[in-house]
Amino acid sequence: MEAIEHPPIFRLPGIPDHVTYTWLVMIILAGLTFVASRHLQLVPRGLQNFLEVVLEQFLQMIDDVMGPEGRRYLPLIATLGLFILTSNLMGLVPGLAGVTSNLNTNAACALVVFIAYHWIGVRKQGLIPYLKHFAGPVPLALKPLMFVIEIISHLARPLSLTLRLFGNMVGGHILLAVIFLLMGLDGLIGWALSGSVAGAIIGGIGGLVTIVFTVGFLYPLKILVAFLQAFIFVMLTMLYISGAIEESEHHSEQHSGHH
Amino acid sequence: MRRSLILGGLAVLAFPTAALAAEGGTGGWIAPFAVIAAGIGMAIAAGLCGLGQGRAVASAVDAMARQPGAAARIQTAMIIGLALIESLAIYTLVIALILLFVKGINFA
Repeated sequence: MEAIEHPPIFRLPGIPDHVTYTWLVMIILAGLTFVASRHLQLVPRGLQNFLEVVLEQFLQMIDDVMGPEGRRYLPLIATLGLFILTSNLMGLVPGLAGVTSNLNTNAACALVVFIAYHWIGVRKQGLIPYLKHFAGPVPLALKPLMFVIEIISHLARPLSLTLRLFGNMVGGHILLAVIFLLMGLDGLIGWALSGSVAGAIIGGIGGLVTIVFTVGFLYPLKILVAFLQAFIFVMLTMLYISGAIEESEHHSEQHSGHH
Repeated sequence: MRRSLILGGLAVLAFPTAALAAEGGTGGWIAPFAVIAAGIGMAIAAGLCGLGQGRAVASAVDAMARQPGAAARIQTAMIIGLALIESLAIYTLVIALILLFVKGINFA
């Protein structure tokens, strides 16, 4: 696969590509927010306005899924969301390496989510009550079995987060790499330039159809998948956190009609 | 018709065996089967994922037509559901990629 893909334009010696471009994402995000927070105004304009809209979207999602007491987890959720969104979009630009098309970055984000929601749950309820909720509302005889099933399903969560993000990003990249392979000097463009009439017709029409298909359908689809996968990652993080903290509400408070 | 389908499918599996027997290769058993498994597995996963997502979208559109006021929340739930169903096909894609690029190369 490395033979089909081209190396990125900027490479630091001795450091893997995805780490270099993670640093680039960090510089972009930190720089953008630093510039926007220079002179904070009550009525925002320009870059501050744009970033406030983005944060409002995150706050709205948090209110929908976790309720207003989930707003304290906004730093974790917004950081994960913006990092994954920027990394996904950076992988689409030809010439830059994809940060999330490497398994290590996705595994790191998923591990952060895993440790975070267990930590939040244990901190909120204490270790033993949190573990007791793993057993679920089943009769006492079935509790050990339910405990084992819950452990397995909890272990499957970071795995599924990682593979979902990785598979979506890498699938799009491989599709694009195959189309470049078809279009190259061994394929359609070579036929078009080969000098024979049949080659020119097939290569020309095929090349044109492939270009229209790629630019008109594949790239918008990849951009949609980039946004969608960041949204899904953040939504699942919020669901896991709300699942970890909501157990206490069955015992202590009244169940209000809102959530 | 189903019996002939099964027999035909099994007959397809005889081709790489015959090819390998012809060239007398003993170490090259995994590569053709890995490639076939990757292709067939991905095809089955994509087809079933299409069926599942079709049902999800059909229910969502029915619900939105029944209650246009709740359309935004239903659409959000539909998008989340579609992404989760699609992730099952993506797991199969990852396995297919592993099969193709790790086992599908002939170490000859």
